[in-house]
Amino acid sequence: MKERLDVIRDLLDRQLVDSDETKMGRVDGIVLDIDGDGPPRIDHFELGFAVLARRIHPRIERWLNAIRARWSVRRSARQIVPWAKVVDVTAYEIKVDLKAIDTPAFDWERWLRDHIVAKIPGAGGE
Amino acid sequence: MATAHVEQLSGRRVWDADGKVVGRIGAIVARRRGRDYFVDEFHLGPAALMERFGISTARIVGWKRHHREPLRVPWQQLDLSDPDHPRLRCTREELMKMQ
Amino acid sequence: MKKAMTLALGILTSVGGFFDVGNIATCTQAGARFRFQLIWAMLLATIVVIFLIEMSGRFAAVTNKALPDAIREHFGFTFWLVPFAILTVIHILVLGAEIGGVCFALHLVTGLPLQVWALPVAVLLWLFLWRSTFSAIENSTSLLGLITLCFVVAAVWHRPPLHDLLRGSLPSLPSQHPANYWFIAVSIVGAVIAPYLFYFYSSGAVEDEWDASYIPVNRAVSVIGMAFGSVISIGAIIVAGVVLAPRGIHVDDYHQAALMLTSAFPFWGYVLFAVSMGIACLGAAVEVALSMSYTFAQTFGWNWGEDLAPDEDARFCLVYTAALLVGSLFMLVGMDPLQLTMITMALSAAALPFVAIPMLLLMNDRKLLHDAANGAISNVAAAAIVVLTLVLAVVSIPLAVVGGS
Repeated sequence: MKERLDVIRDLLDRQLVDSDETKMGRVDGIVLDIDGDGPPRIDHFELGFAVLARRIHPRIERWLNAIRARWSVRRSARQIVPWAKVVDVTAYEIKVDLKAIDTPAFDWERWLRDHIVAKIPGAGGE
Repeated sequence: MATAHVEQLSGRRVWDADGKVVGRIGAIVARRRGRDYFVDEFHLGPAALMERFGISTARIVGWKRHHREPLRVPWQQLDLSDPDHPRLRCTREELMKMQ
Repeated sequence: MKKAMTLALGILTSVGGFFDVGNIATCTQAGARFRFQLIWAMLLATIVVIFLIEMSGRFAAVTNKALPDAIREHFGFTFWLVPFAILTVIHILVLGAEIGGVCFALHLVTGLPLQVWALPVAVLLWLFLWRSTFSAIENSTSLLGLITLCFVVAAVWHRPPLHDLLRGSLPSLPSQHPANYWFIAVSIVGAVIAPYLFYFYSSGAVEDEWDASYIPVNRAVSVIGMAFGSVISIGAIIVAGVVLAPRGIHVDDYHQAALMLTSAFPFWGYVLFAVSMGIACLGAAVEVALSMSYTFAQTFGWNWGEDLAPDEDARFCLVYTAALLVGSLFMLVGMDPLQLTMITMALSAAALPFVAIPMLLLMNDRKLLHDAANGAISNVAAAAIVVLTLVLAVVSIPLAVVGGS
């Protein structure tokens, strides 16, 4: 990985891909750990609609959480990808050492696939 | 653990110790130490924004003007205890001298 | 050899994307009300779209990213949110209008009312998207779309006075109904420069795995493909001008336009119009629905691609499914397809700055594009285009109110 990077330009809103090259969402938020005397450290990424909602306005995030509590398929509103899991940062994407299908990012994808897509003929491709 | 959210800091206006506006955060430069990245400096101002987008309006129009440097803020000088209002620990004048 | 195939297919695809319900509606109205006087609007729109399509393709070839992908990544979510929301609304309206076009074509052929066809058409489109790969869609809609050449054949058959055609190729002021004249001029531009075209084209370039070596092919496809579509559209203006204008038929309804090919093709004219319209709108509807799926999936970072089987990108498929359902509602409730089309074209014209400005900024990022970034010519064109889109954004809705029929 590079010696220097711009956290906003090179990491935020970037596409994440898993160890199988499957797209698993974008970096919707980045959390820095501010530890007393030292410089801030990149701690983890945050993914999810709740994070996006808060970027627009905090009130939207609260409203979204209320809906999510009643209707959502997802295990948690916010998914965390620790920095330690990052394998590489390229010009195209950020590779992480995870399997997308195991992560909350794929809760909706999995639910749709299992409950709807699988029931319709022709979903598997030739 | 005190934290700061990059997506909240991006584009956020920064004040100096006297309460004067300095500029908006356009870039956050981090340096590698082992497997971790630590923030080195924050870049403020319109030049920082242009740095992010990799363009300048001048170049679009066709003439290459003097390339403005962004305002560099070493990490020690930025107080992030209130994430909605990042503040410099020094004054704007003192920051200029550091450039 | 593969590049030659790409060129051929690319040109055909451009035809499919160019000539759609918006073009049919605006060109037949233009010809019927103002004869050849608005050909200049079509020429202007064509030049603009050639530049923008070329940029979209070049960008995708060099960065391997489609436009929505790059815009969110580059400018951030909060910047992208407003254009994304607006363009989603426009996408749905356009989809509704295209579905309306297919329904109308089926109505012409069968006599059954449009409402009956709304859901069957949506289902047909859905099946097509569910089962096909990207190249299958490209090939089939393009080849079938060649039937629209009948407008060119008819235009040539009518032997329009060349002198009048040339005069219409230059901007002129109308002798009467100026508000309507300018409204249709703006709508022609809005119909040609459709946002979905660029998102679809750049995503398609990524699906087809273009790289930097495709830049020359891309240039050829942009120019020839768009010009091809433009010739067909101008053919429609000419035929409408020769057949409908003298009879005082103003195309307040698609039924009036359906007559236009009957002079050149006495027996088949009616059917040819229906088939052309049906196929053109079908192809366009597929592109719009896919463009919506691409835009959503790329914005949120989902897995995407028409080449993937549905069980690999369920959310991508969910978007076009929902879009088709919502899009079919307009015809289901009995809205007039021509009215829907004209309103949509005006709104689409108003939203163009949201498409053009991010594109202009992206094309100048040397860190992204290196040598392939815009040179002086492309930038001058891009800047002029941005100015044009801003003017259109300001005038299109007032004109729709004052000059729309």
